[in-house]
Amino acid sequence: MDRTEGQDELYQKAAQEYGEALARMAYAYEADPDLRRDLLQEIHLALWRSFAKFNGRCSLRTWIYRVAHNVATSHVIRQTKGKSVRTFLTLDDAEAKTGIEDVELSANRAQALSQLLALIQQLDPLDRQVITAYLEDLDADSIAEITGLSAANVWSKIHRIKNVLVRRFHRGGGNAL
Amino acid sequence: MPCDELPDDLKILWKETVMDRPVFSPHQLRAEAEKLQAKRRNGYLVLSVAFLSAVASYAFFIFYFHNTYTRLGSSLALLVFGYLVIDTLAKRARALPDLGEPDGLCFYRGELEGKRNWHRWLPWRFLMLPVPLILIALGLAQFFAKVSPFIPPVIWSWTVFLLAVLVIWGPAKHRRLAREYQDRIDALDSAVRSAGQTHAKD
Repeated sequence: MDRTEGQDELYQKAAQEYGEALARMAYAYEADPDLRRDLLQEIHLALWRSFAKFNGRCSLRTWIYRVAHNVATSHVIRQTKGKSVRTFLTLDDAEAKTGIEDVELSANRAQALSQLLALIQQLDPLDRQVITAYLEDLDADSIAEITGLSAANVWSKIHRIKNVLVRRFHRGGGNAL
Repeated sequence: MPCDELPDDLKILWKETVMDRPVFSPHQLRAEAEKLQAKRRNGYLVLSVAFLSAVASYAFFIFYFHNTYTRLGSSLALLVFGYLVIDTLAKRARALPDLGEPDGLCFYRGELEGKRNWHRWLPWRFLMLPVPLILIALGLAQFFAKVSPFIPPVIWSWTVFLLAVLVIWGPAKHRRLAREYQDRIDALDSAVRSAGQTHAKD
């Protein structure tokens, strides 16, 4: 199998297995639908290009998430276009932010989803990586491998993210979930 | 409220986000990569042509105005724009950047550093132009004073305006942005330090 063939096969496997996760990730980084479509295409393009250099030193999943997050981070920074990077919300800011409406998940899923996305889209790119990987059910060690943070740091971030989420959402009494 | 179950509920909710999932074939992506590379190269080509036209304008100034100040200023401006042409053509020759291997933290820090360096460097590029600009204005003011006494004040007003942009407004804006990127890098470093070491590399 030559390099191009391997690259194409790896890409097709990645798109098949992680296509949905990548599409959700694009939501975490871009609110505008047109720009989100462009970002998703950019992610797929970067993934396909990156497989020419994939050496198997990390798992395919780690590689895919790294490339996708890096493209999305680059996109987010590019979108600031000379504006202040201070607009990114850190976890400290998110924890300190008051006066936010507490949404009941079972009663209003659409509102809950839009509030969840709004929260994620304001975060600093590195925190977005942690929260989206956490929501995708990745464990702390995998998130650490993707982000380059220590597992302890990831655990601490996840704990704080949970605190922020608990303050903004509640389950409600219904059985909708 | 059972808080322990809430995050799991949110994970379920999160997975409901998708919607449409576009499919790309390797063939499409290959064509897209070629298109992107061509677009990037054309962009740099247009920029280098713009700088080249500045070079041509200043070369014209050197031959047209027989005034020492204008010739000296134009020669310096010609050097500055000549350097910009070479710099732009060198960037055009580079391949698309890779977005693979580095982990999230390393890549994010690298992007912030890149932006910070860009905003640090730009004011220095602005500062290459005031000296040639003043010399050219001096020469042009002398030349046009013989034609009409109203032209030199217009030349000087424009020079003062351009100098204010190049020496005060531009550098101040870019230094502020460079400082903001540096603050972000410092905050990132201190957050990583306070929470322990980074992940061991592969």
